[in-house]
Amino acid sequence: MSCFEHDQSRRAFLKRSAALGMAGVAAPFVTSLAAIGEAAAAVSSDYKALVCVFLYGGNDYANTLPPYDAASYALYQAARSNIALPRDALTATALNPANSLGGRQYALAPAMASLLPVFDAGRMAVVLNVGTLVMPTTKAQYQSNAVRLPPKLFSHNDQQSYFQASNPEGATSGWGGRIGDLFQSGNGSATLTCVNASGNAVYLTGRSAVQYAVGTGGPIALLNNAASLYSSSAAMATLKALMTGSSANILANEHARVSQRSLDTYTQLSAALAGAPAANFPSFPSGNSLADQLKIVARMISVSATLGARRQVFFVSLGGFDMHDNLATDHPRQIGLVADALKAFYDTTGAMGVADKVMTFTASDFGRTLTSNSDGADHGWGSMHFVIGGAVRGRTIYGTPPAIGSNTPDDVGQGRLLPTIAVDQYAATLANWFGVSGGDMATVLPNIGNYAPSSWNIGFV
Amino acid sequence: MDTIDFDGRATPEPERSGATGPALPTVTVVGSALALAACGGGSDGGGATGGSPPPPAPPPVIPLSDIQASRFLGQATMGATRSTINALVARGITGWLNDQFAMPRATTHWDWLVANGYSAATNINNEAGFDATMWRQMIVEPDQLRQRVGMALLDMLVVGIGGLNLNWKQFAMAAYVDVLLDNAFGNFRDILDKITTNAAMASFLTFLGNRKANATTGAQPDENYARELMQLFTLGLYRLNTDGTLVGGATPTETYNQLDVTGLARVFTGLVLANNTSTTPDRYRLPLVINAATNETGPSSFLNTSTTGGGMAAIKTALDTIFAHPNVPPFVSKQLIQRMVTSNPSPGYVGRVASAFADNGVGVRGDMKAVIRAILTDSEARADSMMADATFGKLREPVMRLTGWARAFNVTSPANTWPIGDTSSPSTRLGQSMGRAPSVFNFFRPGYTPPSTAISNAGLVAPEFQITNEQSVVGYVNFINALVNNGSGDAKPDYTEILTKAADSAALVDEVNVVLAAGQLSTATLSSIRAAVDSVSATATNGPTNRAKIAILLTLASPDYLTVK
Repeated sequence: MSCFEHDQSRRAFLKRSAALGMAGVAAPFVTSLAAIGEAAAAVSSDYKALVCVFLYGGNDYANTLPPYDAASYALYQAARSNIALPRDALTATALNPANSLGGRQYALAPAMASLLPVFDAGRMAVVLNVGTLVMPTTKAQYQSNAVRLPPKLFSHNDQQSYFQASNPEGATSGWGGRIGDLFQSGNGSATLTCVNASGNAVYLTGRSAVQYAVGTGGPIALLNNAASLYSSSAAMATLKALMTGSSANILANEHARVSQRSLDTYTQLSAALAGAPAANFPSFPSGNSLADQLKIVARMISVSATLGARRQVFFVSLGGFDMHDNLATDHPRQIGLVADALKAFYDTTGAMGVADKVMTFTASDFGRTLTSNSDGADHGWGSMHFVIGGAVRGRTIYGTPPAIGSNTPDDVGQGRLLPTIAVDQYAATLANWFGVSGGDMATVLPNIGNYAPSSWNIGFV
Repeated sequence: MDTIDFDGRATPEPERSGATGPALPTVTVVGSALALAACGGGSDGGGATGGSPPPPAPPPVIPLSDIQASRFLGQATMGATRSTINALVARGITGWLNDQFAMPRATTHWDWLVANGYSAATNINNEAGFDATMWRQMIVEPDQLRQRVGMALLDMLVVGIGGLNLNWKQFAMAAYVDVLLDNAFGNFRDILDKITTNAAMASFLTFLGNRKANATTGAQPDENYARELMQLFTLGLYRLNTDGTLVGGATPTETYNQLDVTGLARVFTGLVLANNTSTTPDRYRLPLVINAATNETGPSSFLNTSTTGGGMAAIKTALDTIFAHPNVPPFVSKQLIQRMVTSNPSPGYVGRVASAFADNGVGVRGDMKAVIRAILTDSEARADSMMADATFGKLREPVMRLTGWARAFNVTSPANTWPIGDTSSPSTRLGQSMGRAPSVFNFFRPGYTPPSTAISNAGLVAPEFQITNEQSVVGYVNFINALVNNGSGDAKPDYTEILTKAADSAALVDEVNVVLAAGQLSTATLSSIRAAVDSVSATATNGPTNRAKIAILLTLASPDYLTVK
């Protein structure tokens, strides 16, 4: 996804919104809230959805959750000079969590101000220094290669894959899909257990669960549902038969299987979504690709009972976070898109009355260096992440605040953070909420046994 | 003159071994590699003359069949046409390759943009003309082998126009694609030089204006190019054998570590645009220059080498070191094979091409002509028997489905605007657009395997499946159908030739099969397409046109066609 496109469309959106004025926006919102409320009745009482928001490129932790207390801020400012956010710009978004951090204080990036009320309402948690690990790892162990480490650290594609799947590129299942394996039989349509609104990601493929890709406007009709092709209904039937016919060649056959899933699912899903038109979901900003994806997720959740779905795992993503350059200007824009989309999604689940049934969490390739490369930051490792939902024990910052700077006990070079919370622990906490039993946890997260069971639940839900 | 006998030779037997890692191909060709120095006719020896003793009878020259020719052109060009099939059958593969290697570019992307007015001041902040020049060259230029290799290089040495932080983006990107096309038949070492000093690459991978370490602020050089140059463009993460398999198998050896990245990053500092004139795009086609003030001149260590003094000399040392690394021949060769022939080449095939990369026969490393010849004439690419191998081939890149159709049916744009545009949208277009990769990881990765499928279970990869999903498969059919029916703007097909066969469904479907699908439609597919064609009477209103469009669309939508074998 090009940053440029976001920028253009976001500016256009702001312009349009200004032109419409508040009244123009508010009127349809009121009517549609009623419509959403009705839709909420179509959600099963024991429904749960897990929504992974992947920030491709490696999100910069230091400018997403900058230190705010004076001593920490000074260290942060010294390490990244010209890409540091000015301290006075952080006053309005400084976080006042319920728990004590021993004198440390953080702020949300100013561009994330829209999420501050969600945090303050106790529906958003911050989890510090999460990253890919094989087992608990100290700096001394890292330096002496005394424990197994995730292969290909600092490599985008491999760490994306490791975060999603506990294996580098080429992984054949991810933990979202492996959770789906456990629950797909309880859903009316197994195909709609793992739903990706952003294309393909190994995260959502299980050992048996298969991800289903949905467009931001819902499933796409083949040739506009035409009954005939070039004046022939027989040709139209042949088209569908050919697209889905089996082949001896393994690649051709797989392509046909994807087409078969597409055509099979189209009718059921498009009919269900017709009862939840996009116009009923007005909170989502336009010109924001992540918001577009979360809107179709919200629409699908609203018709989950119609579809017979009780447990669903969704995946959405935004690219453009690999900010080796222009971090000071590009990062506020991208992280602002994330915050605005997450806020709209949370508000919508609230309006639907299902906020406590939907758990949204962020993920990324890795964090970045604290040290500046003059106008950006390079590939790192650990990073904070956010969890949002009605069931979250929010207004709390989980984990241990890492020391700030180079050559600290938490740093493996230029402010690359050695993770203190493994992705496995972060995932296990989410999976536990979703209903994965302790006995099944190792099926979902093969390395979880390397951590003491008492540490499997970080406590944010 | 060597010839090859497509019927009478030993067929390489694929052998499977299941011991390798999940992302690795397991096909091994154990049959002897065949000599394929020349293929097909074009020079048939002549007869005895005068009183000389008769020369030994030349081996029989068996010309390529139309299907063999179309299959070759499906690998070597942006799409076969009836006339290029006929020409290849007449000329033979060796002659055709030599012709293509000798063919100069008709025009550069840059010059076409200028000639068509895109350098007007109003275009300084847009991308106008970029997609047009890309589609035009891929579809109409006669230097088709260069176009195909150039696009394979663009899939590997990735720059995407959306990631440029420059004005005159269409020109910056055109200059980059021109580097790849101009050097597609040159030496890979020169390609490394030219992409490293190219403005678009420098902007895309953020080393334009990269500054040396600053002791006062603690700032360090940007590591982006140093890392991706090694990881994605030349070496990969693990040491490779010449045949592309991992040294050490299950316990592989890392090619470089973070210290190598940090050290190499120091070399790529101080590179800046050649001048400050932004009112024209001209500086984007000039090689970058060194700004001494921001260039690291102290010692830099990487890959067991060190350099000091900075400047272009340090860059030369760095690129020489990388180019000499034993990983480069298999790493680059395998990806080019994946782009042109098959997703899972056997180690034998990779090894044969890598050997040609390492030494073209006269001691030159990196000779792209030798590499291309080795890829396209290898027994694994040419043997008819491979078409029946259930794991051979690749999913056809979406862009090449469009260019294949456009070339086969002579698409032209009378206004020369080529209004096909950005085809990146997976839901409404192709999910791929040349020069518009969303990141340096391109639209798809060479190691991608669709998880939990027969493909991944077999330990195979299928890169193009990374952009294949429930929405894209329908989005593609919808989009290509609109093109088949009406073209795009003034870029329209000419069906005159195929319409001459429209009344005869067998002839119609056979011709579409040969030209578009290299004869790869199965008997069952052919018969169902024929029946669909015959469901429309040739004498009905628009009957012939509708019959032809049914044959074309059903072919383009069939899995038999979508897999290049």
